[in-house]
Amino acid sequence: MSYELRPHTADVAVAATGADLGETFAAVADGLAAATCDEIPATGERFSLTVRAEGLEALLFDYLDQLIYERDVRGVLPVANEASVHESDGEWVVEASARGVPFADVTARDVKAVTYSEMRVEETGERWEAYVVLDV
Amino acid sequence: MTTREFDGIRLERVREFVWEMPREGDMRVPARVLASEALLDEIGEDKTLQQLQNATHLPGITGHAICMPDGHQGYGFPVGGVGATDVEEGCISPGSVGYDINCGVRMMKTNLTYAGVQGHGEELVEAMFANVPSGLGGGGIVESGIDTVEAVLSRGVDWALEEGWAVEDDLTHCEDEGRRPDADPSAVSRKAKDRGKNQLGSLGSGNHFLEVQRVTDVYRDDVAGAYGLEPDQVVVLIHCGSRGLGHQTCTDYLRKIEKRHGDLLADLPDKELAAAPAGSELAEEYYGAMCACINFAWVNRQLIMHRVRQVFERIFDRSWEAMDMHLLYDVAHNIAKKELHTVQGEERELYVHRKGATRAFPAGHPEVPAAYRDVGQPIIIPGSMGAGSYVLRGGEASMDLTFGSTAHGAGRLMSRTQAKQEFWGETVQDELREQNQVYVKAQSGATVAEEAPGVYKDVDEVVRVSDALGIGDKVARTYPICNIKG
Repeated sequence: MSYELRPHTADVAVAATGADLGETFAAVADGLAAATCDEIPATGERFSLTVRAEGLEALLFDYLDQLIYERDVRGVLPVANEASVHESDGEWVVEASARGVPFADVTARDVKAVTYSEMRVEETGERWEAYVVLDV
Repeated sequence: MTTREFDGIRLERVREFVWEMPREGDMRVPARVLASEALLDEIGEDKTLQQLQNATHLPGITGHAICMPDGHQGYGFPVGGVGATDVEEGCISPGSVGYDINCGVRMMKTNLTYAGVQGHGEELVEAMFANVPSGLGGGGIVESGIDTVEAVLSRGVDWALEEGWAVEDDLTHCEDEGRRPDADPSAVSRKAKDRGKNQLGSLGSGNHFLEVQRVTDVYRDDVAGAYGLEPDQVVVLIHCGSRGLGHQTCTDYLRKIEKRHGDLLADLPDKELAAAPAGSELAEEYYGAMCACINFAWVNRQLIMHRVRQVFERIFDRSWEAMDMHLLYDVAHNIAKKELHTVQGEERELYVHRKGATRAFPAGHPEVPAAYRDVGQPIIIPGSMGAGSYVLRGGEASMDLTFGSTAHGAGRLMSRTQAKQEFWGETVQDELREQNQVYVKAQSGATVAEEAPGVYKDVDEVVRVSDALGIGDKVARTYPICNIKG
């Protein structure tokens, strides 16, 4: 899995790729952390989250939104993300975890929100790709 | 006729600084770009024009979708966009307000002169940085529980007045006297309120800042007199919004609209334009929630302003009242508001979406606070750390041309990723201090690089176009003394 931060006039975009959906989602989430903070220390405890949505793009949107919410409420930066994605009863589910680095340990800036703008989640041959614009 | 074309989108020159994108395909109305040739060249470089064209698809959009001179690519609606939709037959669009509901700017005056604060630049910047929370996780001036958040959402700056964070004079110099009567705190989710709890009275990061400035030029003596501005005077500019609470509210409603009004969304070219049909339950709920977030943002800026008064009291060893530290005005530049406008001779109630655009009501308009009704509403246009900012007043042509709106800033030119490759934060800070006598302090060097003066358009040119069109007339220019950022 890997991600890249891509230019956007006002905001920041993340392009990510992985062997499956879970890896790809986690790579986008790591991109969210990288857009927030340049150097990530090894501190913090892991926490889990599960998010459900009606479609794949909606799931990625809600997953990143939930990470931003957890960030603000727990006072930690979610890094080293892991995720697995499956479909169940017509609903998409991501079961994920992250290491929450305490704000006191990082110099970070705010990413305000995830957007649907130009969002893509697609299978390309053997791999998955995702593209998300974040509001900074 | 002069025409310009950018990526297949054709613009016709209507007159100086007015470019029209003719209606074609599924566009419900034509669009307009208000720009000089130089600004238009920049606007044409990214996806601004495509996003503007997309915005003309919103149900019930009236007149034109309009791009201000500082317009640039955003998500869904472009930044610097104005779109008015019919309150009965149109829609309200959270994505066309933006995530940072009531992101805006306020200016506080002082009776200090530049000479009186010279030599205090570094001390001021350190004291403001230490006392005004900024960046991610910096906390807020008020550590609040849910009850406090709900009181703020409901009562706006009235709450701050009751709690001793404001004086009456602050209310009479704020739009709506600092309280949106349509606010509905119950329409704001618990998730949003949880995020707001520890961010009440904080700058955030990105392009938000707190700046001490001096007035360098006055262009209209009578209006500057009415605003209480004169050359060499020290003023304070505060730029921030509704923080995580507002971001979460926009996110929540985008998703609710997607789930409930998917049919309407399927007809729009961009999901971020998500709109609730006028008269629907969600349109009412979102309007109530957005108005509550507007109140939260006003209180946020009020708390920061009051804290700055206390910082000045310590540094200059006299009361803030003795330094005449009074609010000039507070402008919102991410907002949708029900307003009455005359369209083709008929008075109509419209939701005026201003996303990165500022209300600019002229003299005599009943919604301009009594203190400024004779001269027009103050407009504050922040520039970058190395450029001037401007105070304008609502121009006579604004009601006809822009639904009473003008620009909101310099407008970005360069992406944040590119900015970090081109600039190094510490170098930018050193240059600003040594060459421009501007002291800058930020949580992270990366923020300074991302907000370097070179990443913005020419604010002088933006203001020149606004003034020439008569939508926002130049009153005064200010220049930074010191600046803090998240």
